[in-house]
Amino acid sequence: MGVVTDNLGFLLGGLLVTLELTVLGFAGALVIGTVLAVFRVSPIPPLRWVGAVYVEVLRNMPLLTLLVLVVFGLPDIGIRFSLFTSAAICMAVFAGAFVCEAVRGGINTVPVGQAEAARSLGFTFTQSLRYVILPPAFRTMVQPLVNIFIGVVLGSSLASAVGVSELTNRTQVLNLQSAEAVVLFLVSGAIYLVIALLGGAAGGVLERRVSGGR
Amino acid sequence: MLGAAMIGIAALVLTGCADSGTAPPPPVPGQADTSGYDQIIAGSPVADAAAIPAGSWADKVKQRGKLIRGGTDQGALFSLKDPATGKVTGFDAGLAAMLAHYITGKSDADAVELVITTVDTRETLIQNGDVDAVFATYTITEPRAQKVAFAGPYYQSGTSVAVRADDTTITGVGDLNGKNVVTQANSTAVLALQQFAPQANAILLQDDPQCLAALQQGRADAYVIDESILVSAASRNPAIKVVGQPFTQEPYGIGLPLNDPSAKQFVNDWLQKIYADGSWAKLWQATVGSVVKSDPPAPPAIGSVPGS
Repeated sequence: MGVVTDNLGFLLGGLLVTLELTVLGFAGALVIGTVLAVFRVSPIPPLRWVGAVYVEVLRNMPLLTLLVLVVFGLPDIGIRFSLFTSAAICMAVFAGAFVCEAVRGGINTVPVGQAEAARSLGFTFTQSLRYVILPPAFRTMVQPLVNIFIGVVLGSSLASAVGVSELTNRTQVLNLQSAEAVVLFLVSGAIYLVIALLGGAAGGVLERRVSGGR
Repeated sequence: MLGAAMIGIAALVLTGCADSGTAPPPPVPGQADTSGYDQIIAGSPVADAAAIPAGSWADKVKQRGKLIRGGTDQGALFSLKDPATGKVTGFDAGLAAMLAHYITGKSDADAVELVITTVDTRETLIQNGDVDAVFATYTITEPRAQKVAFAGPYYQSGTSVAVRADDTTITGVGDLNGKNVVTQANSTAVLALQQFAPQANAILLQDDPQCLAALQQGRADAYVIDESILVSAASRNPAIKVVGQPFTQEPYGIGLPLNDPSAKQFVNDWLQKIYADGSWAKLWQATVGSVVKSDPPAPPAIGSVPGS
């Protein structure tokens, strides 16, 4: 354990980077995913196609592939983001595809009759989404979104493979110095476990809160 | 990097089609010429039956008929897999094949089974007995020697600095503070950089092609890694150059189980034999020597560094 206590600051710095990647990635994914879900349920076919193609491409590609393409491929065509920015963008666009499907799935749980009722009352598409469909849909989205959040937390460890100095990357550096792989990876595994559990607990609280009116 | 990957795929397809032809492929700089390489291994010594006592580490390998080697298949010059043939060659791979030949008398591809190890798994795989020996540019350090036994050192290397060819501001490790410096995440160059240029911003990537791409794309100002790897890269790629002299000494050892002292003794005896009969120097010439372009160095003395 000496290697962990001696390098606590270094590891916690990595944890901070992991948390930043998670928060930025998940927040970006919520925005991208919600917009795409609206595209996918919209009455305009080209928008539905854009949403469908985005989801099918991003959801069916390994995150590591996406990271390598953004970090090493984009500079070949003259676009170079920092390693951290690249990783955050990848997390957001990748998880965005999953958020889209979670949101769309939630919207689809609201009976079509409610949308028809809203329309017959003269609601526009935006109004019926905002006031009639999304509030009950959100309740059924919470648990899928928690799963995606956990996916983002754990997926952020792949950023270590493209040189982002986050928790996993720093764990590897410490192992290089100390040859204590088992201890170090147990500790970093426990840290990921705690972040994911806290995310799950927050999701539980949120779920009870949004279904409180029932 | 994408372009390189495309060319790689195209080359694969082409070699796949050309297999029926008889012309050997042109030699690739940085890769061993495999016909001479195979002869060097086949010509290396074989142990007397008396040298392998029943029940010893070597006897287990002999009974099994093959050496289970821990290592990588992505290390240029030391242990690199040719995707067209599936054959892993290089200085480390060749030494493993020689050790397998010494014990089993066989020099075909089946004499060595490669188990891919990483820096994160090497010690554990040796301790658990999943591999017989690790040949993986494995620098002997004292913390590691608490967990595994090191035969050797069998090669003395050093970390050096490469920069873009048009860069005149970096002339050695002394200029790296405050710069973005890329290196391989699983190499001891990470530690060397922390020691010699503590203010450098270290970027750790997975392998040599990624590090080279980062250097050429301007993500990093310099690339530090084993000198022979840099020399090899610079010989293939005019966009980069090696500057200054190596700033560390990296003694590479063969990782062996600590709980069976017969292993270290046996492998050290074998190293002495291949030093003495010239097999070691010939293998060096066919692998690392193919890019370094100098006479083989004198092999390091067995047990000459702490931890060995």
